[in-house]
Amino acid sequence: MTGNLTMTVQHTGDLALIAVSGEIDVVTAASLRVGALEVIENGCPRLVLDLGRVTFCDSSGFNALINILRSARNADGSLALTAVPDRLARMLELTGVGPLLATYPAAPITP
Amino acid sequence: MAAVRRYDILDTPPDAAFNRVAAMAVRLFDVPAASVTIVDTDRIWFKATYGLDGVTEIGRKPGLCASAVLRAGILVVPDTLDDPAARANPLVTGPTGARFYAGAPITTADGHRLGTVNILDTRPRSITETDAQILADLAAMVMDTLELRLAALRRLRQEQERRKEQEQARAQAERDKLMLAAYAATLQRTLLPPVLPTVPGMELACHYQTASTLDVGGDFYDVFPLGSGRWAFFLGDVCGKGSEAAAVTSLTRYTLREAAQHHHDPKDVLAALNSALLLDPATGSRFCTCVFGTLDPDPRGGYTVAVATGGHPPLFHLQPDGDGHLLVESVLPPGGMLVGALPEAHFASLTLRLALGHSLLLYTDGLTEARRRDGSMLGEHGVAAFLASRTTTAAAVLVEDTVALIASLHQQTSDDIAILALSVPPRPPHAPPAGAPTSRSTDTP
Repeated sequence: MTGNLTMTVQHTGDLALIAVSGEIDVVTAASLRVGALEVIENGCPRLVLDLGRVTFCDSSGFNALINILRSARNADGSLALTAVPDRLARMLELTGVGPLLATYPAAPITP
Repeated sequence: MAAVRRYDILDTPPDAAFNRVAAMAVRLFDVPAASVTIVDTDRIWFKATYGLDGVTEIGRKPGLCASAVLRAGILVVPDTLDDPAARANPLVTGPTGARFYAGAPITTADGHRLGTVNILDTRPRSITETDAQILADLAAMVMDTLELRLAALRRLRQEQERRKEQEQARAQAERDKLMLAAYAATLQRTLLPPVLPTVPGMELACHYQTASTLDVGGDFYDVFPLGSGRWAFFLGDVCGKGSEAAAVTSLTRYTLREAAQHHHDPKDVLAALNSALLLDPATGSRFCTCVFGTLDPDPRGGYTVAVATGGHPPLFHLQPDGDGHLLVESVLPPGGMLVGALPEAHFASLTLRLALGHSLLLYTDGLTEARRRDGSMLGEHGVAAFLASRTTTAAAVLVEDTVALIASLHQQTSDDIAILALSVPPRPPHAPPAGAPTSRSTDTP
């Protein structure tokens, strides 16, 4: 159940587009959080996470997203999600956090 | 003598390396007997002999070995009968009948003489300067062997000591681990209600299991009285696991109990918890999901439940469907946000009637995220379908069956799981139950 998680970061204007692929679970969630926080600390707090290639996301992944959202907002930035997996969409709805995140059906920026 | 003790050679079993030196001496010098001796305080001990059957040690009488060991160089006695000191030596007077003796001291690098390498003959004779040098070389060979032996002995002792230290360290680590586990178990008991209270006209049951081997988790629940026949209950899940989550769990529990005394509406209790978690610097980036509710006795029987949720999966309201199974209704007040994550969080509450024969089942996402054999998660629908196939709403049976469902799954769960069930028996009991049946286990996978 512990799959691999890979992230690739591309900068477009003042946006950082992070393409995530693989499983976000209790083992890999920390690397997602750390990777995104690095981008914020490097001066780019406006993040778009492309989740189109995420095959699994549980509550650990959700917790990581909330931490990323808080860090982005603390740095006067924002977090947007694209291609949100069904289960994550359900968690965003359940937790009432959905309205705080801009979500798009697919990547708004084509590199 | 300290040097002799250091090499730990006295009274050791015969050793081929030393025997070979004695045998070599016999052949090189064409004599009938040779020996390697070590000098003790009161005796001369023969480590190796050749042609001296039965001689293992002699006294420290002067003349031969005892004199040779006192000299820096080689001692040669061409005819023992001409030497006043050697003449009385047992090797001369005894059955050996030595007439010729030559001995080279075995000398350590720091100048201590431990013993001798000797050659003996039954006839008087003399040796050349070259022969004397060869005898000295044999003594040096013996010394080399002793040094090697000592180095090996030291290594062996160091190894034994190291092993002993390792064993002691391991035993200490084991003791520390047991102590920590006991400490964690004590802490955990402070994080959980030891037993659920007895709520009149209601049956309660719960289950708690942690993914951590220390049995400290981020899930929590409680049921407690508010006075005037009212009760409060809550169940939740702090994000993360282990000791950090447990600290937030503790803060959450005490804040909810306190806030419940000041706010009537469950959503206000969650708002108070949200502020408390955001204000507490130790909480860091941790937040929780939570269900909080109150129970008001209903004159018609059962209770009126007011409940608010904060980012928590729906609870299930169960009642008999009239066909022997259960009707399952998901209860989720709209818009309840995660607790302690964001300052603008808002919460909502709703009320429902827990009539005779009804029950409420609360759980943390460890249950809905438990995975089936094929890797798929149980999910809310899976849990709801399982509950719908039950035949009774009795809290203890529901919890027991749900625990059996978790245990039957192929994959061991990697998350904490808490389950709390509250049920109102179908008919008012003639006598109040002696105590609320509870099922509680702390399985650690």
